[in-house]
Amino acid sequence: MDFTICPATLDDCKDISRMILELAEHEKVLDQIKVTQEDLEKDGFIKNPFFHGVVVEVPDEHRSKEGHTKVGYALYFYSYSSWKGRAVYMEDLYVMPEFRGKGIGKALMSKVAQMGLAAGCSLLNFCVLDWNKPSLDFYLSQGCLNTTADMGYQFMRCEGVALEKLAKGGT
Amino acid sequence: MNFKVRAARKEDCKDISRMIMELAVYEKMPEQVKISNEELERDGFSPNPFFQCLIAEVSDENMTTDGYTVVGYALYFYTYSTWEGRSVFMEDLYVMPDFRGKGIGKGLLAKVAQVGVEKQCVRLQFSVLEWNKPSLDFYIAKGAVDLTAKEGWHNLRFYGQALDQLAKEAPNN
Repeated sequence: MDFTICPATLDDCKDISRMILELAEHEKVLDQIKVTQEDLEKDGFIKNPFFHGVVVEVPDEHRSKEGHTKVGYALYFYSYSSWKGRAVYMEDLYVMPEFRGKGIGKALMSKVAQMGLAAGCSLLNFCVLDWNKPSLDFYLSQGCLNTTADMGYQFMRCEGVALEKLAKGGT
Repeated sequence: MNFKVRAARKEDCKDISRMIMELAVYEKMPEQVKISNEELERDGFSPNPFFQCLIAEVSDENMTTDGYTVVGYALYFYTYSTWEGRSVFMEDLYVMPDFRGKGIGKGLLAKVAQVGVEKQCVRLQFSVLEWNKPSLDFYIAKGAVDLTAKEGWHNLRFYGQALDQLAKEAPNN
């Protein structure tokens, strides 16, 4: 199946928002999604954007059952390693279920890698849940390093009341 | 001991570079440090910087035996969660050994949180090595959650040849 992958534009935020909700519904976490289409438009398209996106489009004749031609996306942002320098972090990778198995997911990831290298990055980081053995095996077979399992890095988060309390302690 | 936390300036990169190496030695991986202070200057002080940095500074009379007044730093950047929105990731937090136990680490961490909250970030995230019990205890006491232990998140990384190979497979449309 033919498809194209292009940098996300402001107009794509409607489809990206739709696909974020599709994935959340599938994972039964719809009530946890706080980000709206308007948030994406605001945060992804300002002078120093919080993220970048790439969107997959198929021709009209292959549009989805509901009539969508935008059928997948990857959302990423630039990060930094104080040891290695510029890096890119892939936050989301999603392909609508009826378009899977056609190489679209792999193409999206490759595109993010390509954008990262073009920006001078030497690392592409992302997270996978430890019970997701098929994904872990796939990525390890592609030459990935698991910095949690192999180097012992634990991923920590501070949010909500704890974050507010911490921020109040800043002078 | 009095100290000041302020935004880093380009001329601080020499000190930041010095402390990055000190932190890598503490984490038992000094051979992994590949970047120079020139790269820090380029990447942290351009119109669209890859990172932000805060510095902890003491007055002259408290300078280190080697004559440094810059004794700690926190390096961070903004990230995004498609569930919750704007977030901040703290890549490094370091205080020179002689200056620990004086609230400087807490001051740096709190300032990163404050800057993030002012920018409407809803999460502050970072990584800690599993054997680094003093740091884990410090962060958990402040309300941080270990998502690797709690939810099973693992960080994966493409780099070197594997990254080059992956990028080569991107479609040309």
